[in-house]
Amino acid sequence: MSARARRALRDNGIGIAFGLLFLAALALQAAAGFADFTEQRLADHLLPVSFGRYLTSSAFAVDVAENWQSEYLQFFLYVFATTWLVQRGSPESKPPGSPHRTSNEQERVAEHAEADSPVSARAGHPRRVVFSVSLGATMGLLFLGSWAAQFIAGRSAYNAQQLAQLQDPLSWSDYLMSPDFWNRTAQNWQSEFLAIGSMAVFAVFLRQRGSPESKAVGAPHDSQG
Amino acid sequence: MRSRLRRSGAALAAALLPAGALAGCGADPAAEAAATAQQRFTTALSTGDTAAACAALAPDAVEHLRAAHGRDCARELRGARVGGGPVREVQVWGTQAQVRTTGDTVFLTRGPDGWRVIAAGCRSRGELPYACAVGASG
Repeated sequence: MSARARRALRDNGIGIAFGLLFLAALALQAAAGFADFTEQRLADHLLPVSFGRYLTSSAFAVDVAENWQSEYLQFFLYVFATTWLVQRGSPESKPPGSPHRTSNEQERVAEHAEADSPVSARAGHPRRVVFSVSLGATMGLLFLGSWAAQFIAGRSAYNAQQLAQLQDPLSWSDYLMSPDFWNRTAQNWQSEFLAIGSMAVFAVFLRQRGSPESKAVGAPHDSQG
Repeated sequence: MRSRLRRSGAALAAALLPAGALAGCGADPAAEAAATAQQRFTTALSTGDTAAACAALAPDAVEHLRAAHGRDCARELRGARVGGGPVREVQVWGTQAQVRTTGDTVFLTRGPDGWRVIAAGCRSRGELPYACAVGASG
């Protein structure tokens, strides 16, 4: 491997490692989900489907999408909520008393943009404003897209199950109010909210040497890191 | 024929499409095939061709007839109270389908050799599974 390739791998370690972990976990989910789906179909006196058909089924799609939406909701809320909310002593938070609105100078935009600032930071008003909220907005759009996918695939999977059990399929509006949709949604939301809150609080008192997610080991509990 | 369809094969990619892109699509081959299978079953019954009607049933429905009444499928179907009439609505979800005619509601499943009837002569019981004259009630 060339020095350039090694450097590229090293400089993008987080993205590459978690990308590979994502693919491995998705493959594991597909294998386990297929086995579970096959068992359910046999229990319902239905013929099993092939692995390929399962991968393109709404049953697999809804299981994937319901987790995606909650993860993107987590980051969307975290990006926006930390603009307004603080946690004293947490490296995940601004210091208490920090202004909600930051100045152009602090953000290094417009006339305060530097030579190596992104072009959008120097651009005119609409483009700069969009770029200024692009991280949270992208997370928000990915959340909405994933949630919509969960809804559509979830209704499809649920209705297939309804028919197998000799029951009527649900309309869009009925599925929107159904326990299946909200159970899938809320069970993912609660775990994400717990993870965000506990991480912010744990990081006040606990340390991880060498991690940017942690304050320095010797930093006082009431410092932001 | 009114056809309201969602194919499970659409999966995540299709699920990400705007809802309007999927709504109101025209006649679907799967819906037509399910309706054809239902019509084949009811026509065979109405003409007294119970052997053909049995051939249109899913294996589980045939087994249920045998297990429930101890008689073979063709004999059992002779007295089955199954309505008919033109198709009013077809819904296909994954490998399952529901065909509503003016006189009946029929449930079908898709196997390797096409659509087969799993229950016919079905009467709605609200939120409970349909009660069916042929095939297992849910």
